[in-house]
Amino acid sequence: MQLPRIVRQLLHRRIVMVSAAVLLAIVVLALGAPWFASFDPNDTAVLERLKGPSVAHLLGTDELGRDLYARIVYGARYSLAIAALTALGSVVAGTVIGLVAGFFRRLDTPLMRVVDAMMSFPDILLAIALVAILGPSLFNVVFALVLVYTPRVARVVRASTLVVRELLFVEAVRALGVRTSRILWRHILPNLMSPILVQVSFIFAYAILAEAGLSFLGVGVPPEIPTWGTMVAGSQQYASQAMGVVLFPGLAIIFTALSLQLLGDGVRDLLDPKLKKTLS
Amino acid sequence: MHRFILSKLGGMLAVLAIVAVLVFVLTRAASGDPVSVLLGDQATADDIARVKKDYGLDQPLPVQFGYWLREVVRGNLGQSIFLQRPVTQALAERAEPTTLLALMAVAIAAAIGIPCGIVSAVYRGSVVDQLFTGVAMLGASIPSFWLGIVLMQMFAVSLGWFPVSGYGAPDAPLAERLHALTLPAIVLGTLNSALIIRFTRASMLDVLGEDYVRTARSKGLPERTVVLKHALRNALVPIVTVLGLTVALMIGGAVVTETVFGLPGVGNLVVSAVLRRDYPVIQGALLVIAAIYVLINFSIDLLYAVVDPRVKF
Amino acid sequence: MPLATPRRDFLQRPLAWALAACLIGAGGPTFAQGPRPYATLAMVAEPQTLDPMASTADLVGTIMQHVYEPLYTFDAKWNVVPMLAESLPKISADGKTYGISLRKGVMLHSGRELNADDVVASLQRWMDTSPRGKAVGKELESIKAKGPLEVELVLKGPYAPLVAQLALPSGMAAIMAKESIASPLKEFVGTGPYRFKERKPDQYVLLTRFDKYSARKEPASGYGGKREALIEELRFVPVPSANTRVEGALAGQYDYADLLPVEALPRLEKASGKTLPIMTPSFGFPYLVLNTKEGVAANQALRRALQTAIGEGEMLAAGFGDTRFFTAEGNHFPKNSPFYSAAGTEQYNQRNAKQAKELAEKAGYKGEPIRVLTSRQYDFHYNMALLMAEQLKRAGFKVDLNVVDWATLVQRRNDSKLWDIYITHSGQFPEPMLSPPQLGDGAPGWWSSPAKQAALSAFNQQSDPAKRGALWGKVQQVVYDEVPYINVGKFASLSAKSPALDNYVPATWPFFWNAKIK
Repeated sequence: MQLPRIVRQLLHRRIVMVSAAVLLAIVVLALGAPWFASFDPNDTAVLERLKGPSVAHLLGTDELGRDLYARIVYGARYSLAIAALTALGSVVAGTVIGLVAGFFRRLDTPLMRVVDAMMSFPDILLAIALVAILGPSLFNVVFALVLVYTPRVARVVRASTLVVRELLFVEAVRALGVRTSRILWRHILPNLMSPILVQVSFIFAYAILAEAGLSFLGVGVPPEIPTWGTMVAGSQQYASQAMGVVLFPGLAIIFTALSLQLLGDGVRDLLDPKLKKTLS
Repeated sequence: MHRFILSKLGGMLAVLAIVAVLVFVLTRAASGDPVSVLLGDQATADDIARVKKDYGLDQPLPVQFGYWLREVVRGNLGQSIFLQRPVTQALAERAEPTTLLALMAVAIAAAIGIPCGIVSAVYRGSVVDQLFTGVAMLGASIPSFWLGIVLMQMFAVSLGWFPVSGYGAPDAPLAERLHALTLPAIVLGTLNSALIIRFTRASMLDVLGEDYVRTARSKGLPERTVVLKHALRNALVPIVTVLGLTVALMIGGAVVTETVFGLPGVGNLVVSAVLRRDYPVIQGALLVIAAIYVLINFSIDLLYAVVDPRVKF
Repeated sequence: MPLATPRRDFLQRPLAWALAACLIGAGGPTFAQGPRPYATLAMVAEPQTLDPMASTADLVGTIMQHVYEPLYTFDAKWNVVPMLAESLPKISADGKTYGISLRKGVMLHSGRELNADDVVASLQRWMDTSPRGKAVGKELESIKAKGPLEVELVLKGPYAPLVAQLALPSGMAAIMAKESIASPLKEFVGTGPYRFKERKPDQYVLLTRFDKYSARKEPASGYGGKREALIEELRFVPVPSANTRVEGALAGQYDYADLLPVEALPRLEKASGKTLPIMTPSFGFPYLVLNTKEGVAANQALRRALQTAIGEGEMLAAGFGDTRFFTAEGNHFPKNSPFYSAAGTEQYNQRNAKQAKELAEKAGYKGEPIRVLTSRQYDFHYNMALLMAEQLKRAGFKVDLNVVDWATLVQRRNDSKLWDIYITHSGQFPEPMLSPPQLGDGAPGWWSSPAKQAALSAFNQQSDPAKRGALWGKVQQVVYDEVPYINVGKFASLSAKSPALDNYVPATWPFFWNAKIK
């Protein structure tokens, strides 16, 4: 069985493989949290608070005596889930909008104006305002972040669509009577897969950072849900006594975001050279 | 030329209009009755009805939008509920720390990013290039609050080189203010330098592949001159664009850093307003922030078109 | 040739910047020390309002007690002593009429002398606006000015806590200039040693010395006696992050840092002269207020179930860490207080999840979420709320934790539709009626019941202090039976001052008159 060309090319690049492996490890840890953590992340043991790394507590404890390693591993579930849903949602929505804008000339300008308007707000501020309106809940945070990142994806997909249009002589094909939806679905979309995949990876990374920032400010996920961001938010004032409470969740965020970006970069480097040259 | 400017202007106004609608809808969609919040729990039903009429809140939404827009154009962004002063005043009070921070941060980002990006491009594919690109990627993966807290612990708490938080005393001179902004600017600058490194690298690579660079080389000019004098000058234009937009995005976008270091910035204002349900402030601040970005974007577009001889009207 | 110039330019600029940065860096720390006319005081938050009657928040009282003065106040032993009044009131034989004489020649910030009309207008406003004021207003028959400096209050029946109520700095019965009275307050015209200068929300509140201040002649004791504004300007800065307050204190940035997390004590003790910790044992008590009017907690049997699930001892440990900093006891008043009583204390610190679940079922609990309102402004509130949520969950309750800004919490707790439990704290006072406000009327929680009325009337009508002490037990029993609020225990407070702040006297509501900068 022949692996798709892109996968074969990826396998040749070490950095990409390493980051993919790290990502996989994090996902495995998150999914298999109960097997990897010996403590319940919500188990408070007030007498053990703010202890540093030890044999019992691999990464130490937080201000309520909860095991940091367990919280990070369980927290991964929430942080990754939120970011993954965001990436999925914004890529789907962004692709639809970008495709329509790139394909139907008349809709291009109005759609892109709306996209421009949304992108005039700094990401995090727009997210804060949206969550404030919708109310703090896991779903609302995802929804808000999807709204924030959709314009970004839409722009990229639109640009790619415009290029692909020319490459595939779409006008000619249309003149032959082929249905628009068929063109979009079977011809244009497959060619957009590479830039779309790249976007998935990057949005995933941005979403992890954005959720952490929102939760840190206290306007993200409700604080009793243990995401990496809420962990830092709740414990930051104890940073001087036990740096671990801020250090370790932060490192988890960094590793995840970095792996995702390296992966995305790797995929981008392997884009169809024709497309790549015209897009840059 | 004129048609070009007019069409760009038209585009800008269209975007601004959409921004205004978005901001209006966002804040109106918020839960809670703004008038009860305004008057507090002492208000009677009559009081509330009267104030609603005064503020035109009993009219249909599009009419309310019209009233609001008319006031905005006049420069009236409303009155802050919590701060009991005009929103414009609240924003003006925060303009100085926000702008100074943004400028300092972008200066640092450029100072780090541009040289690294140039080196990366020139020595493309080498270990140095991979290192710088990797570092840039790392920089884009670090949450700003994490870097802020870590640097604060090291330099403000342990070493005492900088104040832990705040913007200086009420009557502080500029030097003291800049000193207080140094650590936050370093945080923002380092994180944003990631983008600048990669952008500079890409821009330089583009330019270095151009014909006139090959021509310059074939003329026998030393490589350094080719790179720094000819290539850089042309690559600089898009880089400066990005720097300008970065400044615009930091107005309000630096909210996390402002919170960590206790700076009275515009981003911070929005977060406090959100937590206090101070809707006039949320509305006014978002509008101003987005408008600034759109205006800067427009100005850059215009300048770009005027300066770059390749753009045809 | 073309390269030489840019290279030199290029280097010169960064060098110049580096030099400037070094100079600025060297000049940095000196901004906080040296003889100076102001004091920087780090507070826990931005005050929601500067109207001391409109808020029961300690922060507002702390700041505005420098601007406004009450008729009476407390001395170092918590005895009531006169402030704006000349002396303690003349009370009629039946305990219903109080005659208060004002001091002569007390200057208001606006330049004229204080008179009885100002007092009457201020007290009326207090009784309309503040929860404690409203409670006092219910007891009042009439209040009028009997002369330029004479005020007469006539009560409906004897009310022992009256003078103490007039003296408490939070929710203060502040005496204001009559013409400055408005809602909301636009001008702050009082008689205090400091006058209001400027407020930049989220940045600072500035108060400056009032040169024409009319001081009392007795030596200073507690809040009473002679007050002198020895520091020219007081700068109250809001520093909501407790960590930043601690670090700022350690760096010598603040002359006073309020309410620091008690774990910071070891670090403050080692601070090598930049700051000095101040620990006040038995400073106050955290308490939970339950919504008896609407919602899930309006059901008394359910409140009893909640009380059974809660383990106050563990909550205190979560909030304060070390046992040095808290005392888990069910008696609302310490052993040496005349109001000490063990009544109802078997309900304290039960932490019995199983029994709580049974009680909840019997009370008809169907799994509705218990909405707990808390803020991160006071870190111990938040940690205690988190822990309590876990304890309740273990007993099968569904908990909905709402974490909001302190200003929002203060606003929200006035709406009975929005919460079931909220957490706050109070100072520990010698007079029970002073706190919590739920002992009065109309305070959030809206506790009202025949048993409450009966116990409180008996308690407040008893003018003999010896007999009154014993009657508190009956009130405490009703509180444990009806659970309108839960007194979680007692805690010590930690703050810090700079070595430059001299003659600062620690107090529940920190004050800075008579203190000076060395």
